Amino acid sequence: MIKAANLKKRYGDIVALNDVSFEVDKGETFGLLGPNGAGKTTTIQLLCGLLKPDGGAVELDGKRDPSLVEVRLSLGVVPQALAIYEELSAEENLRFFGRIYGLSGRQLKERLRSCLELAGLRERSKGRVSKYSGGMKRRLNMICSFLHEPPILLLDEPTVGVDPQSRNLIFDTIEDMKKQGRTIIYTTHYMEEAQRLCDRVAILDHGRILDMDSVENLIVKHGGPSHIEAEFEERLSGPDKIRPFIEDKNIQFEETKIRFATSQPMQSLAMLNRSGARFRSLKVQTANLEDVFLNLTGRRLRD
Amino acid sequence: MKKLLFLAVKDLRVLLSDKGNIFWVFGFPVLFALFFGAIYSGAGKGPSGMKIAVVDEDKSEFSSSYISKLESDEALQIVHLSREDAIEQVRKGKVAAAVILNKGFGEGFEALFNSDDPRLEIASDPSRRMESGYLQGLLAKAQFEALGDKFIDRKWMREQVNLWREDMKNANELDAEQAELYLNFIDSFDTLLKDANEESFNLGFDGDMLNFAKLDVSREYEGPITPFQITFPQVLLWGFLMCTATFAVSIVKERTNGTFDRLRIGPLGYAHILGGKGLACFLTCIFIICILFFGAKVIFKMPMGNLPLFILGVLCTILCFVGLMMFICTLGRTEQSVGAAGWAILMIMGMLGGAMMPLAFMPSWLRALSHFSPVKWGILALEGAIWRDFRFTEMISPCLVLLAIGISAFSLGVFMLRRQEN
Repeated sequence: MIKAANLKKRYGDIVALNDVSFEVDKGETFGLLGPNGAGKTTTIQLLCGLLKPDGGAVELDGKRDPSLVEVRLSLGVVPQALAIYEELSAEENLRFFGRIYGLSGRQLKERLRSCLELAGLRERSKGRVSKYSGGMKRRLNMICSFLHEPPILLLDEPTVGVDPQSRNLIFDTIEDMKKQGRTIIYTTHYMEEAQRLCDRVAILDHGRILDMDSVENLIVKHGGPSHIEAEFEERLSGPDKIRPFIEDKNIQFEETKIRFATSQPMQSLAMLNRSGARFRSLKVQTANLEDVFLNLTGRRLRD
Repeated sequence: MKKLLFLAVKDLRVLLSDKGNIFWVFGFPVLFALFFGAIYSGAGKGPSGMKIAVVDEDKSEFSSSYISKLESDEALQIVHLSREDAIEQVRKGKVAAAVILNKGFGEGFEALFNSDDPRLEIASDPSRRMESGYLQGLLAKAQFEALGDKFIDRKWMREQVNLWREDMKNANELDAEQAELYLNFIDSFDTLLKDANEESFNLGFDGDMLNFAKLDVSREYEGPITPFQITFPQVLLWGFLMCTATFAVSIVKERTNGTFDRLRIGPLGYAHILGGKGLACFLTCIFIICILFFGAKVIFKMPMGNLPLFILGVLCTILCFVGLMMFICTLGRTEQSVGAAGWAILMIMGMLGGAMMPLAFMPSWLRALSHFSPVKWGILALEGAIWRDFRFTEMISPCLVLLAIGISAFSLGVFMLRRQEN
């Protein structure tokens, strides 16, 4: 459905994208995870034709030119910056963008109602957007791109600077879009978002894709071990009794507590259970995409 | 076309949502019309009520008559001061000039026309040179009028003739033959003054010495030219300038807000987006024209000259400014920079083109520069239709200049915008 092949883009001396390639299948949600300046927005702008690549090619639904009207009609792009008319109301914004995409009459009215409902803006639909909260503006910014029901959605950090309530509403909306079978590319520097929403994630840094896979596979490959901390009812009679069940040689014992790292936490827990020790508390810290990024780049996502 | 209209309607909605925009685009030109219409209500007579100080050191009958001639002129406002005070007031800029009538000013022709020993001095404000020239004309006119009164005073005239006769007898530089000729003429003139009967004498010497016949340069004009008719083209141009600046800034605002990119991602070509902006600017200008036209017609009862030519002039002027709007929006990447650069350019165009001060009041080098200002051509096209009684062939030149500027500016603007966006 979406194909980026060897994309290259420079801004003067700065290399924004260096040989970026990926493919996204129909109905898949693909994440581009990386810190600020990694090249996520540039990738989106190349995909939707706002920028021309210095090298490589983009293919959307089998067509190589994103500037073609039929390609643009199949795209819904949610830009990172708020791209709405604050002087107008939500309804006026939606009506305008709807008409630009060829909607009219009853169809436009229906889509308008449905999108306002989706974004939770129905009650304030006639109010000036400049009076909206940041979260409301974000939601409007997003639904302006869904109005014409495009099969492909490109979402560029749609949750930047929003309150938790609005963020959840945005997540629900995107999950709704996923269920409807739309193909989505979602850029973010929040690993929780990528983990929650994306089927596959590409880790992007300094214009390069470092790795690309499902979240689980990335964690297995690059996340490192999970950390387990267990406290037992009674003092452990002897560490040697436990040690055979644990692969980590740097296991730490402390009175009734035990700490160790493992790449297969579920198996380790099952083995601990088999040792006969009775648990008082158990804390499992599994690896996440933050660890994946740290291990791949030596830096944290928000550094 | 439908999409163009949607884009234009959206822009008009955005424009009308801001009260500041409404004032500057629609209200300001109307205020401008009222203000300048009032200022130019004495149009054709020059700057009315120019304040000058008069110092009468002669205190003769002739100087009093001369001053009363100056006081009766509507174009002047006279204050009587001492020499020192008058010069001080000029230095402080409180009066345009000081006119000093030296002792001996009223001593007849010798005093009035002796260029070696002038009896009238003028101290004028160096920053008001144009008014100074205008004042000299008014002073000469008053001088001739006062002199005209003296011409019918036979006693005074014969005294002058006697003075000429004495001068002639003492003129050693003339040979005898030439001196004889002049003396014969003076004797004949004296005889005329002595013997002519009252009726023929008055017919010969009474009346204005400096009177002008005014020729009407208009061809078919039927009603009077009101001051608002003269300022109307300037007012329209101000409306267009406001509109141009507002829409140029609105394009940059869309670029910085990201809505421009959102439109580019949509199923629209560049031509749609920029055409929509241009159409909105065009429609706003038309709206301004309608408001001002209605006001001028209904409130000021202003004759509009040739309506089809007026429409032609208006359309060409608007298209020119739509093109300029497109160019100006590329002069910066922020609203502030485009706002500042746009206004700087438009103000210079306005000043050079005669939107602030009529071109006639400008020095010749500035008038030459005005050819580069579209405002000048816009005003000329509109004046041509409203009161200059231009024929269609005479309208072609300003209209073609306007269209050429508009098309060039639009093309350059689109080219630069595309380059900046990529």
